[in-house]
Order: sequence, then structure tokens, then C-alpha cells
Amino acid sequence: MSKPKPAPLPAGTVVGGYQIIKRLAAGGFGVVYLAEDPEHHLVALKEYLPSSLAERSPGELTPRVKPEKQPLYRLGLKSFFEEGRSLAQISHPSVVSVLNFLRENETVYMVMNYLQGDTLQDFIVTARDMKRDKVFRESTIRSLFDEILRGLRIVHQHKMLHLDIKPANIFITNDNKAVLLDFGAAREVLSKEGNFIRPMYTPGFAAPEMYRRDGALGPWTDIYAIGACIYACMQGYPPNDAPQRIEKDRLSLSLSRLRNVYSDNLIEVTEWCMSLDPLSRPQSVFALQKELGRETERRYTKLSFSERLKLQLENLKSGAKA
Amino acid sequence: MRFSVYQVSRRGGREKNEDRMGYCYTRDAGLFALADGMGGHPEGEVASQLTLQTMALQFQRDAKPGLPDPASYLADAILAAHHQLLRYSADKGLSDTPRSTVVASVIQGNKCFWAHCGDSRLYLIRGGKLVARTRDHSYSELQDALGRTTPSGERFNRNVLFTCLGSPGKPMVDLHGPMVLEQGDRLLLCSDGLWGTVSDDIITEQLAARPITDSVPELVELALRNGGPRCDNVTVIAVEWEGADEAEDSGEDSESLSTQALGDDGFASTIQSANSAERPNELDEAEIERSVREIQDAIQQRAAKQKKS
Repeated sequence: MSKPKPAPLPAGTVVGGYQIIKRLAAGGFGVVYLAEDPEHHLVALKEYLPSSLAERSPGELTPRVKPEKQPLYRLGLKSFFEEGRSLAQISHPSVVSVLNFLRENETVYMVMNYLQGDTLQDFIVTARDMKRDKVFRESTIRSLFDEILRGLRIVHQHKMLHLDIKPANIFITNDNKAVLLDFGAAREVLSKEGNFIRPMYTPGFAAPEMYRRDGALGPWTDIYAIGACIYACMQGYPPNDAPQRIEKDRLSLSLSRLRNVYSDNLIEVTEWCMSLDPLSRPQSVFALQKELGRETERRYTKLSFSERLKLQLENLKSGAKA
Repeated sequence: MRFSVYQVSRRGGREKNEDRMGYCYTRDAGLFALADGMGGHPEGEVASQLTLQTMALQFQRDAKPGLPDPASYLADAILAAHHQLLRYSADKGLSDTPRSTVVASVIQGNKCFWAHCGDSRLYLIRGGKLVARTRDHSYSELQDALGRTTPSGERFNRNVLFTCLGSPGKPMVDLHGPMVLEQGDRLLLCSDGLWGTVSDDIITEQLAARPITDSVPELVELALRNGGPRCDNVTVIAVEWEGADEAEDSGEDSESLSTQALGDDGFASTIQSANSAERPNELDEAEIERSVREIQDAIQQRAAKQKKS
């Protein structure tokens, strides 16, 4: 695809009363701008502008969509509405909130809280580059995921699934609040109709049922992703993707490297969340919250001699430190 | 011929219903068919709709009023549907072809034939027992057939099919029949939304215990309950066979259909013909405006609630 990306709106442009300050991010779906509302509060403005379907030259306001691309464009629009509808109903500090929804320039815009901070992904990368034996402290992981799970529980209570939970979609604000971003009932519909905008899942964080045709998705699908996020917070890297694990599952082995660094309980919970069989996982966020919140005495088990040997062999085979 | 038929299709928890079902008949032959448009490819609902239309059209053309050879009709019609999908995709310049499963049955005289491609199923129940069931063209059923036992943790991919209509390779079609029907036999055609969450035993038991007008809605409800909030589309068409001869003395049974009344060149169908099926773009300007307003309302309502609390 050599088609140039549609041009973002220039700084200064006013959209439905919100003035654009700068572009923050661009994805397959559209562009997110930093903008100011009439009372000079900062907001994030998300513009529906699928890069593979819409065209816009610099300086133009209205995107153009070729007639043959209209059906897909409209379908994507529907998904954008779904995301808006979902978020409009939810009000929780751990879920990004929608402040307004606009129709302008023949496309649509979602106005959201502007969050200042970094994604969990940024934190993981920074922490692992320090090369300590722990990426995050166990108490940090527990309290972080307690917050995330409170938000996710509300999402599930509204009969929605996130379906793309990953460190890059978990935002840590400067005042230390964890917020879930990027909701996409959207994503799911789009990829069903031919994956023209982006893949439907993020390898490593997507549960095995996400890879199947009409696999039964449920709260357990998001719970798998939560497990994978906890894994990434301990290990510094995402886990192997589900198809790889189905082929040959190295999860227990790589988790065993963390023994004595993290408590047995946290490692077990991670493995529980990431069971390949959806039924073997915690079936609700509540069940998982209970387990994560149990502040009993932490037990740490050292690796036995044979386990250490096994790990060394594995390291030799893969020829790398994992 | 006399039979009663009952069909129902529910969207479940999905955005769209990509399942289609229908039947048509002449005086001497009946076609019952069901198709499940596949996710992961474009326009699943078009795929299933085109499949049924193509099969119905060919049925109407060949059944005068009987089919010369029901088995070859089924094989040809399914292949024609496959080609129709490829043509559709080429005409519209789609980068990927819409795909569908299909299961179809022809009853002619007292003989029943059926064919399928993919994982939509047919069940034949006689006197409370399952007499026949199609085998899915899925890797999981292939494994079962090969007698491989996989540890329960590794059972996956019931949904991955190795053949369907619209795929680049020629579809694989399993043909069965003729099977001689007996009065009271029940045929059930369904999409994986039913059998995915309701066991064969329960399907058999329910279907045998009560008239199809009661058992089919009950089964569909059960599947929707079991499937939960994100339940797949659930579609069922069931036929109760009442006999090849027109029993004049059976009185006015309002539930059952008699094909006799159709005459030599009559044709009845529940499958929409091609031109009326082309659905216009679902999301028009008015719809967009309405969606935006709805979301704005939801945001305001939430804000109002927050103020109160």
C-alpha cells in the first residue's frame, strides 16, 4: 500500500468548538489530537479517519472516500459508534471517559479526557532496561492490577469486552492512576469483514479463542490478557503467543525462572489466568480480584536442582537468555 | 407429500446474523437448506444468502415437478453456489471471497437425500433415536474420525474448517441418500450456533419428545442461554415427515403442508429471490445522525447522574 496517509488537521483548526493544539497519535482507525475546549480545558479528540480508506490532502478538512470503499468506510464508522456508545455508559476512574461526540467535516469525532502520563508499556521497557532481577515490585503489580480490574469489572458489567488489553492500552497517569484505553467492540467488527485496518488481536496478549472462527469470547478472554500483562510486568517481555503455546507450551518453564523473585501465589495466578482452556481460567474478574487481593504471607519456593538443570538445558537449546 | 416444517434464526449476541435458512417445494420434491456465512471473510451474510438463492433457483429450474436425480442436483447446486460466490467477489473487486457453509436436504417421494459442506449439520431422528448426522468438515471432527485422542487441554479449533463454499479450492461435499423416510421422522438442519452449545443427546431427546413447533424454539432458546451474551447466530430448520401419499382422511391438520395443492408446475419458496435480497447500505445519513445523537444523549445522562450522586 503506497497510498499516502490522510493528512491530519493542522494545529489551530476548530472542530465543533474544540481547537486542535497538536497531533498526539495516529493509528489505522484515525488520528488523536490534543485539543482545547471553549473553557480552555485540555481534551483528547479522536477523529475517525481510517488510513486505508480515506484520503485527505494537507489543508483540507473533509476526507474523501472513493465510492468502492464506501461500504467498508461505513462499516468502520459503525464500529466507531459502538466504541462511543460503550464508553458513554461507563463512568469509572479506571476507564477512559468520553466527554462528547461530534459530527463534523463529514466524519465523526470522540472527545475524551486528556490523560497525562505514560503507558504501562513505556514503564515496562524502561524498567527492564535497568536490568534488575525484578521488573516491578510485587506490591506494585498487585495494586496496579487491582485498579485495572476494578475498571474492567465495570466494563464487563455493561456486557462489553475490551478484547485488546495489553500494556500499551493501560495508561498510568502522572497522578498515578491506571486507566484502560482504546476500547474496541470496534476492532472486532472491522476485522471480521476482512482485516483491512489492523489485525484483530495482539500476539502474546490475545487468548487462543481470539484466533478461532467464532471462538466463544467472554470475560475469560480479557482475563487471559490480564494474565499476559502481569507476565509482562514480571518478565519484562510479552509471553509467547497462543498458537505457539498450543504447539509447545513453555509458559510454566519461563514462569519458573521467576520463582523466588515473585511469590508462588502471583506466579500461580498468572498461570491460572493464562490457561489455554478458557474454562480453566478465572471465569470472572471478581474471582481474579479476590485471588490477587489476598494478602496472606507470601511463600517463595526456590528452584530445585533438577529444575535448574532443566532451565539451563532450555537456555542452551534456545541459545539465549529469556 | 405431507410434512410440517418449522424454521427460526436468531442473531444471538452478534452484530449481524450471517445465517440463512429456507425451503422450497414443488408437488413432488422439497428442498430444505441452511447456510452459515463465515466470519473472518467479507460479507458473510451475503455469502449465505447467495448460496441459498443459487440453490433455490436451480431447484426451481430442475424440479419439474420432480428432480431427475436428487443427489446430482445437490452436488451441482452446491457447486453452482460456490461459483456464484467467486463471481460475486470478482464482480465487486473484493480482495477476499465471502464464504459460507451449507447443509441441504431434498425429499422426493419417500426418499431423502442430503449434502453438506462445512460445519452446518443435519440430524435425522426416528423414534427417539439419532439415525444419522453429518460429520463436520472441521479439524476437530477429522481428528475424532482418525481415532486420535488429544488431551483435553489441547482440544481446540472446533471452528476451523478445511472446506467451505467460496474458498480458493474446490469445496468438498459429502452426499448421502437415498434414505427411505418413515412417518414421524424428523430432520433438523442447524448452524454451529445450535450444536456448539447443545449436545447431540439433548437435540435428539427434545426433537423426539415433542412436535417440532415446540421443540425447535425450545432448543434455540437453550442454545442462546448456553451461548451467553456473545452467543453465535443460532439457526434451525426442522421437518417432520408425514408421508409420501396424500392421506385424504387425515383431516385438516393445520400444522402440516401438503404439496398436492401445487399442481404440476407450482413452486413455493421461503427463499428470497436475488433482486430483493440486495440490501441497501445499512448506515445512511439519517442513521449516522441518529447514532451521534444517541451517544450524546448517553453522555449527558451519565453526566446528569454523576452530578446527582
